[in-house]
Amino acid sequence: MDNLDLLKKDWKKQEANLPHLSYDQLYKMIWKKSSSIVKWIFVISILEFILGAALNIILVDEEYWAEMEKYGLTEFTIAVYIISYLITFYFIYRFYRNYQRISATESARILMQNIIRTIKTVKYYIGFILISTGIVFLATFVLMIRSHALTADSNGTDMSFDTKQWILFIGGTLLALAIILGIIWLLYRVVYGILLRRLNKNYKELKKLGIN
Amino acid sequence: MNKELEHQFVKNLEKHQNIAHKICRIYTHDQESHNDLFQEITIQLWKAYPKFRGDAKFSTWMYRVALNTAITLYRKKKRSIKTQDYDSVHFKIKAEPYDDEIEKHLKLMYDAIRELNDIDKALVFLYLEDKNYSEISETLGISEVNARVRMNRIKTKLKNIINP
Repeated sequence: MDNLDLLKKDWKKQEANLPHLSYDQLYKMIWKKSSSIVKWIFVISILEFILGAALNIILVDEEYWAEMEKYGLTEFTIAVYIISYLITFYFIYRFYRNYQRISATESARILMQNIIRTIKTVKYYIGFILISTGIVFLATFVLMIRSHALTADSNGTDMSFDTKQWILFIGGTLLALAIILGIIWLLYRVVYGILLRRLNKNYKELKKLGIN
Repeated sequence: MNKELEHQFVKNLEKHQNIAHKICRIYTHDQESHNDLFQEITIQLWKAYPKFRGDAKFSTWMYRVALNTAITLYRKKKRSIKTQDYDSVHFKIKAEPYDDEIEKHLKLMYDAIRELNDIDKALVFLYLEDKNYSEISETLGISEVNARVRMNRIKTKLKNIINP
């Protein structure tokens, strides 16, 4: 007899050693809370969307608006905010649609593919937040420099930087910006990296077997 | 969800629970993890039940959802206290009057299966459950040819373990 046939035969016999749960035990079980990876992804993603929106709200106080008005940038800022919220809502919509598509009744490969697609939406959202934060920060930075130059001119005092100071100032600021954004990106990668290590590994394996 | 649906579902689950238990045996290493995974499979089955169409067999549908839970959806819990590995009670090979040599072979094969990666485990599981390659490839979403090729590789691997 083939070794695997032997195993197959034994496998069937093993059924006698399996636990058997009663109707009542199973009934109670269906109402327990799930701790599936999809639930985690949902919770983390929602937190990220909230965080993104919260950052927008917290950073923009009355002082900020007064400042923008001073520079005649009120309309511009409003336009930027409308676009930013539209983009955020688009991401939330895409996320919701992809999330809905996740179903345990699909084949293993399609299920994994749908989960990965859902996470990608969040990844692009984080990318969008980071890039837009970078742009806003740089724009503010340019305004500050312009304001610095204006103040220097009107006071008549010499507050201008020499070349070395400029390089240090701009370099330092850009470095700080890169570090902050980098840390956020890293945190994001670590969270999902841990959560998805197994899934990514299995998906790679299935993808390899999916090609004829 | 109405009462009738609940009743119907739990009845079906009770009848076919072996499928889930067998998957738990392959994918977990101790009783506590077995129970955890079994519970998650039950929850996922119940959540997916509204999508279950009567034209398919409950057991066929259950294979898919339960395997998906084990391979993809289930998140292993970190355990602070190491629970007893159920290796010793895992597969009760001694139940039948096998000769010592066969017993040794079986033990080696079961051990080897537990060392396989998640996907290969799924292939072996479906194979042991007498599923044909068309069903195996549909459940996992891979091509039939590749399912065959991979299964042959696993078979060779298992044979080599027994006859080095």
